[in-house]
Amino acid sequence: MIGRRNTLARAGRVYMAAVLLFLYVPIIVMVVMSFNASKLYRLPVDWSFTWYVALAGNDKLISAGLNSVWVAVVTTVIATVLGTAASLAFFRYDFRGKRLLQLLLFPPIAIPWLIIGTAMLVFFFWIGLGRGLHAMILGHVALALPYVIVVVTARLRSFDPHLEEAARSLGASPWQATRRVTLPWIAPGMVAAALFAFAVSFDQFVISYFLSSPGVSTLPVEIYTSIRKGFTPEINAASTIVILVSMALLLGVARFYRFGGER
Amino acid sequence: MLHHKFLRRTLASLALAVGLALGSAHSWADEILVLNWQGYGTDEAWALELFTAKTGIDVVHDYFNSEQEMLTKLRTNPGAYDVVLINSAYTLQAADEGLIQAIDTSGLKNVADLSPGMRDNANLAPGETTYGVAWVWGVTSFAVDTNDFPEMPVSIEELWDPKHAGRVGWRDDAIEAVMFAAIATGQDINNPADFDVIRDKLRGLKPQIRTFWSSEDEWNQFMSANEFDLATYWSGSASRSKMAFGLPVEFVIPKEGAIGWLDGLSVATDAPNADGAKAFIDWMIDPEFYVRWDTEVGAPASANAKANAQLPEAAFNRAVLGDPEKVATLQFMGPMDEELRQKILELWQETKTYLLE
Amino acid sequence: MQSAAAEAPRVPHGRLRAIAGLTGPAYFWLALTIFLPLSAMFYFSFLSDVPFGKRVAVLTLENYAAFFEKEFYRTLMLRSFRLGAEVTFYCFVFGFPCAYLLAKSIKGRWREALFLLVILPFWSNALVRIFSWTMVLRGNGVLERLVNWLVPDYGPLNLMFTYPAIVVGLVHSYLPYMILTCYISLEAIDDSLIEAARSLGARRLAVLRRLILPLALPGILAGAILIFVPVIGSFMEPRILGGREGTFIGTIIEDQFTAVFNWPLGAALSFLMLGFVLLILLVVMPLARRAT
Repeated sequence: MIGRRNTLARAGRVYMAAVLLFLYVPIIVMVVMSFNASKLYRLPVDWSFTWYVALAGNDKLISAGLNSVWVAVVTTVIATVLGTAASLAFFRYDFRGKRLLQLLLFPPIAIPWLIIGTAMLVFFFWIGLGRGLHAMILGHVALALPYVIVVVTARLRSFDPHLEEAARSLGASPWQATRRVTLPWIAPGMVAAALFAFAVSFDQFVISYFLSSPGVSTLPVEIYTSIRKGFTPEINAASTIVILVSMALLLGVARFYRFGGER
Repeated sequence: MLHHKFLRRTLASLALAVGLALGSAHSWADEILVLNWQGYGTDEAWALELFTAKTGIDVVHDYFNSEQEMLTKLRTNPGAYDVVLINSAYTLQAADEGLIQAIDTSGLKNVADLSPGMRDNANLAPGETTYGVAWVWGVTSFAVDTNDFPEMPVSIEELWDPKHAGRVGWRDDAIEAVMFAAIATGQDINNPADFDVIRDKLRGLKPQIRTFWSSEDEWNQFMSANEFDLATYWSGSASRSKMAFGLPVEFVIPKEGAIGWLDGLSVATDAPNADGAKAFIDWMIDPEFYVRWDTEVGAPASANAKANAQLPEAAFNRAVLGDPEKVATLQFMGPMDEELRQKILELWQETKTYLLE
Repeated sequence: MQSAAAEAPRVPHGRLRAIAGLTGPAYFWLALTIFLPLSAMFYFSFLSDVPFGKRVAVLTLENYAAFFEKEFYRTLMLRSFRLGAEVTFYCFVFGFPCAYLLAKSIKGRWREALFLLVILPFWSNALVRIFSWTMVLRGNGVLERLVNWLVPDYGPLNLMFTYPAIVVGLVHSYLPYMILTCYISLEAIDDSLIEAARSLGARRLAVLRRLILPLALPGILAGAILIFVPVIGSFMEPRILGGREGTFIGTIIEDQFTAVFNWPLGAALSFLMLGFVLLILLVVMPLARRAT
């Protein structure tokens, strides 16, 4: 019996290792290639820092990277605020049409981004909003909202509404009750939602692709354009930096919030 | 709802963020935005340095992978571009749609040296108005990996030869594909008469094509990774691949003929910097730029006869494209009826579906 | 954990303003960016041409008719849905065991570390990951060298520009979604339930089939939707990894918007795709509800 369990346990470990290997092979290749001086990706690797140096002078990539961060930050702020507000409403009140509203959160997830992206392109062009960072922010927030609401709602499930009532009965105004009782409790949920929103926006390609305008694009769009029109190996260097920074960020946040589950 | 102070602070930081983002989109220096193929002359680093030194204008680029994409970028980004490279087969269509403006060439000193046949080409300068300044011309045919060909092929049928099954590179472009089929079946590339024959000829590519390429960079990567024996390509790009990337390739103009094209530089309607655009065009047709471009990097033939004459005698553009016999076999791309174009696009979508395994 | 928020308190209509104030902004945003654009595109799908500038557009059904007249549109639509199903299937087959191991077998610090490792690839740029696969899969690429190193004289191995290459790339991109959603569901299953079943004599396989899978079904379905929907509309991965095999309804639709400029046709094809997705959801959802 014990022998069988050990074999299973070992098989499990091997399996996990295999899955992780599969997930990381391209990333490792990307990191290695960022140090490969060969312009045409010839193996074996010709170790060098040239692409990192070139990246420093590649204004297009750098500005695209900065745009990505900007858009993601603004998206995160707006989506978290709007989403938390909506979640609070669903938590506190029961009303006619609540089901319908909750159902309406599905489209961004249930509709392929290709369709949403092209629809936004068509509509914004038609009404004169045009394309650019402002259009992208509009799109990214819409995509991030369902995720924010789901995450914050999950956190609200463990919140006792009577606490709010108690605060009100002690003389607090609705806003004070929210700010001092509810928000601190759901803060971890809001942080998780914010992280989600940031990730959704930062890595978003399809919507950004259709809404970008010449000279104003985000990192994923710039990379795709590069791949399709003439790949500059600085991309590998840029991506290596991005993933190292995100890894550091994620590890930093993980120290404060348990990702493995609440208990 | 939300507390006033919180709301105010949030809105303020949002406004700041959006303001900074929008502000960073504007450049304070004098600047032009050029729309072209990537790596096609206008973005040569040394050329831009010289231009900026002379005029103080910064040059920024946006790229496309097909003429269709170029037109759509113009349509969906009004007032964004200054200089646009337009194949003469499309110049009149672009003008007709109001995408480009008439150019007053009196201030451009190099225009006088352009070969009259090209400068006054009806597709670029109908009547008295110039919509495109003739820039370079070249050939669309195929190039071979010299390692796989002890002898240079002479016929376009080489692309359909079972010897090269699964080793042919093909450009994913409807118009170009149909034109190749037209040449192979002896038809007029700008108005093929028999579409069924074209369809069958294209379907004959099923065992041949290894993959599609959509940019020069991709072409180079595939050739370098030994994916192709031979692939459709452009004459100027072939010399670039040979010279700048050191690939063992050779361009072939088969006996049945090949596709000729003439590219012109145009100024977009509502260009933010029309004067800068014209100065840039003048620099692009300048022999000083062209000779260095062809000898150091690789380029198609110049529409400026004076510039072409300054090339070394053995240069492809002078030796082969200067040979009137060879040039006589070329069929030049011309404007196409919108209905015909749609028909061709649909035929190619259908063919690509057929080509799937 | 259950009791606190079992019932949200009911409140009189006087609170309508509060509700509107809290949900208003979010739904106004969604209206402006999702619902109105979709309506606009729906209208476009019935036009003969883009109604900008000098172009003249009339109402017509020809865009939808094209789908039913030309066989290759149907072939490609089917192909995209097949791709979606395959990718979802492989993500489930490989992701579910992984999620199970994380949720049930591995505990403590290992669990947190491995969990982080699994979701970290989310944060690397999807496009560069796909491009890196080209370097791995192509002739004389990393995979071929690895195989030849393990099995000497294996010979050339070139997987680029094949349908499997596209599947590999997509599975790689979307696997973390399935692992995540299954993990959330599995983690919520009470261990004592499993222990009870085992102690009553049920064998491992039976426990899996009758207890775990049904309880984890919400997570599996959530993952399936999060994967299936984007994949059927994908064009980036097919273009980069597929070469001549990379023609799908997604690439055709993208073409209409970025090159061909036939937005009405693109709109019609998009709504046809949407229609099929809704059909599938309508069929699957009740079945899922019955199972859980």
